[in-house]
Amino acid sequence: MSVRALLWWLPAGAIALLASPPLRHALETSMTAQMLLQLPLLAVLGGLLAAALPTHVRTALARWDQGGCSGLLLASVTSLLWMLPRALDAGVDLPWVAGAKFLSLPLLVGMPLALSWPRMGFVLRGVVCMEAIASCFRLGWLFLATPQQLCSNYLLGDQQRLGYALLAIGGGVFVLLLGRLIGGRWTLPAGEARRPR
Amino acid sequence: MAALTLYPESERLPRGERITFNLYMISALLLFVLMMVLGVIMRMGQSLWLDVPPDLFYQVLSMHGAGMVGTMSLATTAVMWFFLRKYVRLHLWAFLANYLLFLCGALCIIGAVFVGRYAGLWTFLYPLPTHAMGMWGNGAAACFMVGYLFIGVGSLLFYLDAAAAIIGRYGNLGRAMGLQWLFGGTIDPDHPKAVVASTMVVIANSLGILAGAVVLVMYLVAIAYPEFTMNALYAKNLTYWFGHMYINATIYMGVMAVYELLARYSGRPYAISRPFLWSWAASCVFVIVVFPHHLLMDYAQPRWVAVTGQVVSYLAGFPVFLVTVWGALTNIHRSGMRWSTPSRLLILSMFGWAAGILPAILDGTIGINRVMHNTQWVPGHFHFYLLLGVLPMVLALLYHVIGSRRAAPPDSGADRLGVPVYLIGGMTFALAFLDAGHMSVARRMSSHLAEWIPNDRVGAIGASLVLLAMVYFAVRIIHGLLRAPGAESTAHAAG
Repeated sequence: MSVRALLWWLPAGAIALLASPPLRHALETSMTAQMLLQLPLLAVLGGLLAAALPTHVRTALARWDQGGCSGLLLASVTSLLWMLPRALDAGVDLPWVAGAKFLSLPLLVGMPLALSWPRMGFVLRGVVCMEAIASCFRLGWLFLATPQQLCSNYLLGDQQRLGYALLAIGGGVFVLLLGRLIGGRWTLPAGEARRPR
Repeated sequence: MAALTLYPESERLPRGERITFNLYMISALLLFVLMMVLGVIMRMGQSLWLDVPPDLFYQVLSMHGAGMVGTMSLATTAVMWFFLRKYVRLHLWAFLANYLLFLCGALCIIGAVFVGRYAGLWTFLYPLPTHAMGMWGNGAAACFMVGYLFIGVGSLLFYLDAAAAIIGRYGNLGRAMGLQWLFGGTIDPDHPKAVVASTMVVIANSLGILAGAVVLVMYLVAIAYPEFTMNALYAKNLTYWFGHMYINATIYMGVMAVYELLARYSGRPYAISRPFLWSWAASCVFVIVVFPHHLLMDYAQPRWVAVTGQVVSYLAGFPVFLVTVWGALTNIHRSGMRWSTPSRLLILSMFGWAAGILPAILDGTIGINRVMHNTQWVPGHFHFYLLLGVLPMVLALLYHVIGSRRAAPPDSGADRLGVPVYLIGGMTFALAFLDAGHMSVARRMSSHLAEWIPNDRVGAIGASLVLLAMVYFAVRIIHGLLRAPGAESTAHAAG
């Protein structure tokens, strides 16, 4: 088996494994596990799938993805859908929505983001990171402050646990990024300024 | 070791950059005049010289506050860009994007206030914007928040571009701030002070914008889903983290004009030093965590947060202020300073900053805050340092720029008269507020007691003088900016 085939089959197999009833059940029994483990894992595996794309496909896609904007837009819109509590519920209850979840997160979030990230400049990457951190804080706050349960499948306690976890993740990523900006070593994306005038 | 450069390289702007810089500054000058007109209307209304209905007063107060903070940020962002671009490669698109997003935000805010009748003030406090008791609709409140989001995103784009450029040149933000020289080593005397200050602003204000991005969207959620209620204290903390950082950043962006221009007029290098680097590093930390001094009256706030607010208030402003004023005074002492309008404005800005910071520090003391915070002492302090500190820094740069385009410093009789009129008007106006604070005159009130009106009238006269001088400065500078650039003066040695 070639390396490319391995790069394709390993993530695809892992996605199939995540969709298998025991693992799916384990990750969908709590809101926290679904949002913080299952959904990100599917996106990461989609990102790994991007490495298996043939060069001519990547070149063709690059023409439609100047500066990484198109891929980012596609990934953002798709992620937006999976942030809705109603979508989380439907992903558990309705088989066709579950199918859409297992396909859309790898193919419409992880893969486009992995393809677009190297094309993005520092500014766009910074906006993505800031928005991700802000979203963690907003959703965390929302889940903690909302008096009623937002998903019919998950109890209020689970929702509030997720809220705390999101605040912690937002804070952790923020501290790491700030530390790296102030004291880290940087390799800027191609095309960024490296010299004074 | 590199030589100490007295005059860094040429400041001549290429065509695209000149047009964008002019757009920023002409818009800012026009907005300053308009916002000052609103301010004069309010003081005239309190003086009973003008009939201003209360609902209109609070709309005008909301517009004046949001407009002045936004405009001050717009103008000082241009100051930062003007100097930072000499040392690192900034992208014009980011600078222009900030301007365009500012315009979108300004339109939203103007629409929210004058069409939607929003009157919840620029420091909107939950749940006021969403519980207007029929005074304005939720749409207007949402439009106001979206306006802030536009302005914040614009600033963020500019800061990220600045961060990329600074990191590209210096490796990381820590090195750009000179942290490697805090405890030893030979400081590069040519390390630009504008880079140190810009890096501090990028770090501190990006955090403030992050806080704003969280709380503003939560307000929008609360507007869309009224059953969702936020913790009002969390909302207030984040609102003030955003608002406090945003307006404080204007000082730190504006002061680059002092660092970069003073040496041109004194003819003496303005050296960088270890205390300078220490003060900027310390202020970077303290200015981020000082915002609780706005919440000293909130009894529900944990005591340790209030104490932090007080202690850090003493530490946050002083380091940079001391090294800047000390550095400026030693720079001009016996230097044979060439006095012209830009140099007068620079020195005025040092005075305004120095004098304006004192009432702020007093108000940051818990015991004094309990008595003074809801009085006009507070508008007294921030009008003092913004009007007589930050705005003169911007005007000094603009006078310098129009002078450099004419290869001669602008210093006509009218200019020489304009500065003292502005100073006397500004002092009268700000001192009237501070005296009103001493008399316990409540702030943010459209109608005043009869005993307070003489004080209001003094303030109105001072505000009118400031407006008069500002109209002159605006006309003079806009005319100068719109003239085709002439030959660049030789490193502005003559100012």
